[in-house]
Amino acid sequence: MVDQVPDSSRYEEFVSLYVRHEPAVFSFVLSMVRNTADAEDVVQRASITMWRCFDRYESGTNFRNWAFQVAKNTALNHLTKQRRDRHVFGEKLIELLAVQVEEQADHLDARRRALDSCLEKLPEEEHEMVAGCYAEGSSIRSFAEQVGESANKIYKRLNRVRRQLHRCIERQLGLEEATG
Amino acid sequence: MKDQELQDWIDGSFNSVATDAELELLEERLLHDEVARKHYLNEANLHASLRRRFSAGEARLSLLLDPPNVGRLSFSRRKVVVGLAVAASVALIASFFDRYVAKSPPTAVIAHVIGAYDEDGATYEAGDTVSPGVFKILRGVARLDFSSGARVSVEGPAQVEVIDEMKVILNQGVVTATIPEPAVGFVIDTPTAHVVDLGTSFGVSVDTAGLTDVYVFDGEVEVSSRDGRKAGAVGKLLREGEAVRTDGKSTPIDTLAYDVSPFEATWPVNSGVLQTTGSMRFVTPGPNFHPGNHVDNKHIVVFPERRGFVPAEPTHVDMVDPGRYERRRNEELPVLLPEQRLTSYLLQLNAFPEGEKPNRRRSVRGQITFAKPIVGVVMANRLLKKSEEVFGIPGVEYPGARMIEPRPEGDQGRGFDSVILAADRRTLLIELQENPGNLDQFRVLVEAE
Repeated sequence: MVDQVPDSSRYEEFVSLYVRHEPAVFSFVLSMVRNTADAEDVVQRASITMWRCFDRYESGTNFRNWAFQVAKNTALNHLTKQRRDRHVFGEKLIELLAVQVEEQADHLDARRRALDSCLEKLPEEEHEMVAGCYAEGSSIRSFAEQVGESANKIYKRLNRVRRQLHRCIERQLGLEEATG
Repeated sequence: MKDQELQDWIDGSFNSVATDAELELLEERLLHDEVARKHYLNEANLHASLRRRFSAGEARLSLLLDPPNVGRLSFSRRKVVVGLAVAASVALIASFFDRYVAKSPPTAVIAHVIGAYDEDGATYEAGDTVSPGVFKILRGVARLDFSSGARVSVEGPAQVEVIDEMKVILNQGVVTATIPEPAVGFVIDTPTAHVVDLGTSFGVSVDTAGLTDVYVFDGEVEVSSRDGRKAGAVGKLLREGEAVRTDGKSTPIDTLAYDVSPFEATWPVNSGVLQTTGSMRFVTPGPNFHPGNHVDNKHIVVFPERRGFVPAEPTHVDMVDPGRYERRRNEELPVLLPEQRLTSYLLQLNAFPEGEKPNRRRSVRGQITFAKPIVGVVMANRLLKKSEEVFGIPGVEYPGARMIEPRPEGDQGRGFDSVILAADRRTLLIELQENPGNLDQFRVLVEAE
């Protein structure tokens, strides 16, 4: 019941597991809350809960799935608060996403790994656009203003680049499967 | 995937340009189409990866860096475990946790205890911190103040599993929760029900068989039964003055008569009152509840009014120091400066003619102890009226003449009212004369919690 001082090896174990799986957790949370700023808040809160509840995680079991559970509950709390102001996904869909994200987790990890080389293949201008739109504190709108284009135009162009990236990732994974 | 409509909804939803109608269509599609869901997760994954790749997430963490702390933690196994490439971010995140997690406030703190014992018979102490895990209380009442702002008073025998600052599981026992704005969405799960707060005060009781009763004192909560929730049914919205019971199976959930007696021990503690004894009762509010329409001629009743409120102007009161209340001349009245957050309570004895001897005069005695020091008591009718404008509950029509009659100096007669502020500054000892047709009321201003 009363807070104990964390044991340092347990702490190291937590940090290394957390760092390894944080991208998967962030991706799952974004699928539930759909907005990057909100997703970052939720992930930060979830990470604090994970550390606090880490004594209930058994070493050697699947940390990623355990982390998904904590993140799901944190996201549900967040969505309940938001539900009064706007449409947010209901609990039923969140549960379905949670089931599917566990099944798909390895595949999603592989896609994330493949992304880097696909980004390198992008023409410089498109690379700059992606970087500009996804940078901290920036948005499609702010990037559009910065380069003097309409937001709508950038929005469409960015969607097109994402399609390209998906195709590239899939080619890479297909290639890996073929050679592996 | 060549489904342009779905693709448009997904793009719109991640870029915050989708309308609510489009989001509903997307949700409907995702609920029933596994392939669409798979595609949706791939899209979320790409957005998330790009964000992680280009937003200075690590720079954000490094801003929090406290260089002396980086080297302090030893990561002897880090090369083996995560490899060199990740080591830098391990250190970054470790220092982030070191600063913000290790030192962040505990999930909850025990704010008050009233004879609360754990299962081994040891007493709980105010100030103990509570971590996620099982919290058992054999008897007595303990109030847990969560870091989210939620306040939950638990009456033993009870078993509460603390999940985090926004969620508990009540396996057995009685709790009363008061949820301020930042903690809206606070969840109490029981073996048979799921209760989500929507900004409110409410009570939940769970018996040994798991049967759950939920009462809403103020605001709104959403309640769903265990089975209804599994089937994806929409929860039932409960408003102030409503109550339900569920065994987890029955749908729809049964409505209950509003009877708040199970929460008489926990509700006062949640409202800043530690104890009432004698003929004194802390009233658990219900629908259309206000001092004017409450009927009870045997008890001194206590109504909570405004909470955590800083008055805009100085407030004249009749009494600030320990001792017995005596009438004073106007120029001697103490003044409270408008610099302190206060919570106000109205105490009332409403004597009305009743029974065989309707005009019989009796006295009613009681004692009340607040969690925080009393900073002023307002007695005189004129001051009471004036303080109502500031501390009264908006929209409540307060009665006209109220009378607290202290014994005049030198008078040896009987039949006067007596109010004593004890030396602890938290306790009032009260004896009021029940004079049929008269309404005794006074207001107590307490330091806000």
